[in-house]
Amino acid sequence: MTEGNKIVLLGCAHSAGEVVADLAARGLALPAHVEWVSVPCGSTIDELLMLRAFESGAGQVMVLACYNGACRSVDGSLWAEKRARAARALLEEAGIAGWRLQFCNIAPNMAADLPQWIEEFREPVVAEESK
Amino acid sequence: MKSGGKLERILESGVFAVTAELGPPKGPNLEVVQTKMGLLTGVCDAINITDNQTAIVRLSSVAACALLAQKGLEPVMQMTCRDRNRLAIQADLFGAVALGVRNLLCLTGDHQCFGNHPTAKNVYDMDSIQLIQMVKRMRDESLTQGGDPVDGPMPLFIGGAANPFGDPFEFRVIRLAKKVAAGVDFIQTQCIFDLPRFKEFMVRVVDRGLHEKVHILAGVMPLKSAGAARYINNNVAGIKVPDEIVKRMEGAGRGKKAQAEGLKLCAEIIQEVRQMPGVHGVHIMAVEWEEAIAQITEQAGLLPRPTI
Amino acid sequence: MIVAKRKPLPEIAANLQSTRKLLIVGCNTCVAICLAGGEKEVAVMGSALHLALRNTNPAIVITQRSIERQCEEEFNAPLAEEIAAHDVVLSMACGVGVQTLAEQFPSAIVYPALNTAFMGRPEERGIWSERCAGCGNCVLDKFGGVCPIARCSKNLLNGPCGGSEQGKCEVDPKNIDCAWQLIYDRLSRIGQLDRLLEVEPPKDWSTSRHGGPRKIVREDMVL
Repeated sequence: MTEGNKIVLLGCAHSAGEVVADLAARGLALPAHVEWVSVPCGSTIDELLMLRAFESGAGQVMVLACYNGACRSVDGSLWAEKRARAARALLEEAGIAGWRLQFCNIAPNMAADLPQWIEEFREPVVAEESK
Repeated sequence: MKSGGKLERILESGVFAVTAELGPPKGPNLEVVQTKMGLLTGVCDAINITDNQTAIVRLSSVAACALLAQKGLEPVMQMTCRDRNRLAIQADLFGAVALGVRNLLCLTGDHQCFGNHPTAKNVYDMDSIQLIQMVKRMRDESLTQGGDPVDGPMPLFIGGAANPFGDPFEFRVIRLAKKVAAGVDFIQTQCIFDLPRFKEFMVRVVDRGLHEKVHILAGVMPLKSAGAARYINNNVAGIKVPDEIVKRMEGAGRGKKAQAEGLKLCAEIIQEVRQMPGVHGVHIMAVEWEEAIAQITEQAGLLPRPTI
Repeated sequence: MIVAKRKPLPEIAANLQSTRKLLIVGCNTCVAICLAGGEKEVAVMGSALHLALRNTNPAIVITQRSIERQCEEEFNAPLAEEIAAHDVVLSMACGVGVQTLAEQFPSAIVYPALNTAFMGRPEERGIWSERCAGCGNCVLDKFGGVCPIARCSKNLLNGPCGGSEQGKCEVDPKNIDCAWQLIYDRLSRIGQLDRLLEVEPPKDWSTSRHGGPRKIVREDMVL
């Protein structure tokens, strides 16, 4: 069920959504094992979305929201970060390592960074696999 | 005479009284009690035995006081409201008086979270002021809290605590007045390091004429080191050691030198408070350092103690 | 309102290791307001339990329901069939709700998902604090609307004690205000400070939980 290869990107349409679209436009599709889930705003992100991602087979979840101060809903990105932290604590209680859930702030013009982040995020899983 | 005991006689006679604290052991080790008794004999008028102080379980005050009374020393039994309800308190008081105890210090008691049994249920059936009122009624009207007659006299000199350094400052004197109204005969204050604040407190006490209704003994504590001073500031609520004193202790160095400075400072504080109107004595709390009492009383010019 | 907090997941999961069909029932009154046991929390709990039991009990079937108020039988009644059809009921209500379910459906196994803590109020989003200890003899008129029984760590009636510093209680200065500082300030403000000059006598605890579990019967209301 979990701890598989899939990485779910759970991101705000305004920032992460723009980045994913940007990458697609450049012909740089996300890797096969990465699933992109868009939400209208960081403020709509909650634990349930993250937990369901793990339930449905994700081994890792990366939550992406606008930088604080850039959020159109003012506190939305801060809210998303808090929810990610709460979800991580719940995952730990369920016996799933907290590093499998990561929260990052991102801006629409950071297409160059996302692929790098995904690779770094995947490193511990790769390391475990090669043991 | 309310109790006929030595402490009462000394205070009523106008002599500047000296009481000291004896901390009982964390077990039925009578030798410790006897050793400390020896250290305090002849250097004070009465000896307080603490009651599970800081919520750390120790040999009970009533038992240790009974021993002191047997040996002809003058015990001051301490009783908190944290561990006993009104039934147990009254039962212990009957026993204490029967075994020769004539002085009682009524306290609310530190919360159990500070001690070695933080998961215990506390009692606080009553508070210290209600306790004072109850004991006075037992002594003067021979009635229990529930209204039944008490089988035998309860000659007790009733004490209470006062904290001139707690908040709200303005209310502290009013609370003291409340204790006096409830029937308290003597007060032992929390440790004094902040002399100006204590002086201010005593001015207000005298203003209200409370010094004529209750005997106030100023609490003092010898510091062993600057570290001890800092520990108190960080960990003990209700006592504040001013910066100048911490610095003075730092300047004194370590070990024996620091201790000597601490004793000297304590004697100085005693001499200062002795000058203040309304202060009728001193209560020396030398925690796990009962040996210091003899030296402090010597340096402060309080020896020999009178035999009244 | 009643304030509760979710139990640690391992504690809840420990009782479900061999459960085949679990029914999670939330409550939309007090525990929903304190974000512990409402509809949202039921969904999160379902998901979290699937994850927690993925290795030891992956076949567990979890049904999620949420009702208006678990302390009243009429709201629980529609669940009768479903309760009978599941091995275990995990109630996300306060202790009262858990017990109501258990009393109403005595053959069911009902476990609590929450630790019910106190009667209190929300101070701000995400923060709730205790206000009432249910002593059975309200004396708020004497203390300017601040309860010394519920809010003083030692339930003093003639406080403060020596542990009041800068308006905080020494038991937990970060989280607990000194109730007696609050009482003093409030009575000063409303011009009733003289109430504190009288010695308040020892409390009659027989009306509180100390006197035994309580029951109120309104004869005029019982048909």
